[in-house]
Amino acid sequence: MSYCVHCGVELDPTARTCPLCHTQVVDPQQPVDTELPPPFPSRREEVPPVSKKEVALLLTAMLASVAVCCGLLNLLFLHSSRPWSLYVIGAAVMLWMWLVPPLLLRGMPLWLRLGLDACAVGVYVYLISIDLHGLEWYLGLALPIILTGGAVVVALGFLLRGRSILSSLILIIGGVGIFIMSIELYVDRWLTGRWQPGWSLVVAAVCLSMMIPLIVVRWRPALRDEVRRRFHM
Amino acid sequence: MDKGGKKGAAWYKLDNAAVMYSAIQRENYSAIYRFSAVMTDLVDPLALQRAIDRTMPRFPTFRVRIRRGAFWCYLEPNEAPGPFLKEDMRDPCQPVRFREDDGWLVRFFYYGHRISLEVFHALADGAGALTFFRTLLAVYLREMGHPVPSGAGVLDVDAPPPAEEQEDAYSRYAKSRVRRGMGERKAYPCKGTPEPFYTLNVTMGLVPLDRLRETARGYGASITEYLAAVLIESILAKQRREGRRRELPVALAVPIDLRPHFPSRTLRNFILTVRPSIDPELGDYTFPEIVAQVHHHMRLHINRQEMQAVITRNVMLQKNRLLQLIPSPLKDLSMAVSYRLVGCRPYSTTYTNPGAFKVPEAMRPHIQRMEVILGQSYTPRVNCASISYGNTMEITFAGTVKETDVERDFFRHLVREGIHVKVISNREEGLPDRERS
Repeated sequence: MSYCVHCGVELDPTARTCPLCHTQVVDPQQPVDTELPPPFPSRREEVPPVSKKEVALLLTAMLASVAVCCGLLNLLFLHSSRPWSLYVIGAAVMLWMWLVPPLLLRGMPLWLRLGLDACAVGVYVYLISIDLHGLEWYLGLALPIILTGGAVVVALGFLLRGRSILSSLILIIGGVGIFIMSIELYVDRWLTGRWQPGWSLVVAAVCLSMMIPLIVVRWRPALRDEVRRRFHM
Repeated sequence: MDKGGKKGAAWYKLDNAAVMYSAIQRENYSAIYRFSAVMTDLVDPLALQRAIDRTMPRFPTFRVRIRRGAFWCYLEPNEAPGPFLKEDMRDPCQPVRFREDDGWLVRFFYYGHRISLEVFHALADGAGALTFFRTLLAVYLREMGHPVPSGAGVLDVDAPPPAEEQEDAYSRYAKSRVRRGMGERKAYPCKGTPEPFYTLNVTMGLVPLDRLRETARGYGASITEYLAAVLIESILAKQRREGRRRELPVALAVPIDLRPHFPSRTLRNFILTVRPSIDPELGDYTFPEIVAQVHHHMRLHINRQEMQAVITRNVMLQKNRLLQLIPSPLKDLSMAVSYRLVGCRPYSTTYTNPGAFKVPEAMRPHIQRMEVILGQSYTPRVNCASISYGNTMEITFAGTVKETDVERDFFRHLVREGIHVKVISNREEGLPDRERS
């Protein structure tokens, strides 16, 4: 019988290395037994990952049928002068982009998923702007707000990974503050052509005044424990 | 027992633990555990399949499939052919998919001298599964021509299954005036580098029971308490090596069989967990101090009154009218989230010791040793389990992590204490941790 020189444990006669520290077995008195069967089988059999293609197909069929039916009704029978079906079609497209790609693409990166979600919202609002003849406000106001919102969500998606609840709360409040300020920036630019920060500064100040105490609580162990105790975190 | 009225429409409500195990089921996670018996002779698969076919009808709570109702999942008899014996594979305790494999929630494997039984935890706890396994082994030995009488833990497979074996014992004992909450602190998560889907690395240590008992007694502790303390010490060392700015408590989930405290013949789940822990922020603990902490914690908290209060709280939560009205998919989702927060976060790992596997005298010469494996964890970490048979205590570390640091420190500690350890593993040989990624 061989023993691991580092761990001091007896090894199986078929073992070439110690399972605990991977030290090679060198025992001239008793070489590794290649005749004996190993203590565990080597045959691998994995449960295949669940295929979500069927669910994706079902969702696609449901959303497509709703969109096509509404489109046909709009074109042929009901108020064909106004493209009201775009609201339904847009909603179906948005839902499809939110739900189906994550089902089909296993291990889809988070940034791509969140980016696609933001794009889906952009597409929906674009279809609404067609009905309202509002391409101008769409490009000048709605699209920048949607893209900024998407960027903030993607950034939070990265930053929140593995963070504690307190840290996550701090980052989310910060993200909300930045997004609100950007909204006023786009609105001002759209209405007056220049940025005159006003109401968004109040919101940003409120966010900041919430973040600073939370940061203090986050970094002081005694305060952090107290908060955890009170809120069962 | 909860059964439907009409003949042929029998069904069981999930017990309190089973509700959680079925809710936290994921594509790549199931609460599966395995018991194995290493026999003296090579296993005869045909005789074993006959034994399975004869034994299964005696255990109706194992011969079931899980179904989703509007508000709760439930178990109903599985009339599909099987379950069928399979050749064993490298990675045990693979996840259960409720709609695959004809819905079977138990599996049987053989390899060389080893007979293995895998059970989805929603069906039974370790004590119930061991009763089933003991009876199966007895029937198998009879098929092989060895006379093994019923009794001494072996159930008569020709007798009708009594109702007491199918009862939900949690409901019977949920009668405390006080409902004891949990709300434990977050523990060190003890995570490692995850293996690819789905790999379960198993390392077993075989230890002489008499020497282990003697060493544990030297610390004034039971074997379970001593091994739990060694495990805590190994995890503390792992955390220290990581160099965390602030160290978290190391806490174990140690399942306790409730049958000795609350008489019941149920073969379904009837366990609770205790949580021995060490907080390294309080200062460094010597090993005897860790053993003392674990010993006193377990002696203090394993008592009828406290455990009954916890049972009552859990069962009352299940019987809450408002919660009952929530549709089962939503309920499962919320339970999966709460399992992450309450069921997983407060524990570094699980250590379970079902104790000694006792069999009738006639069976003893035919079994070399027993083995137990806990399946994949919710997070990439190793779980520890042990079982003894004769003078051999078998200790298993199983997990979906590449590193071997916890089990290495654990077994090295036993060696330092003068306990002989033989180690076997299913890990691929020859690659150190840093090269295996």
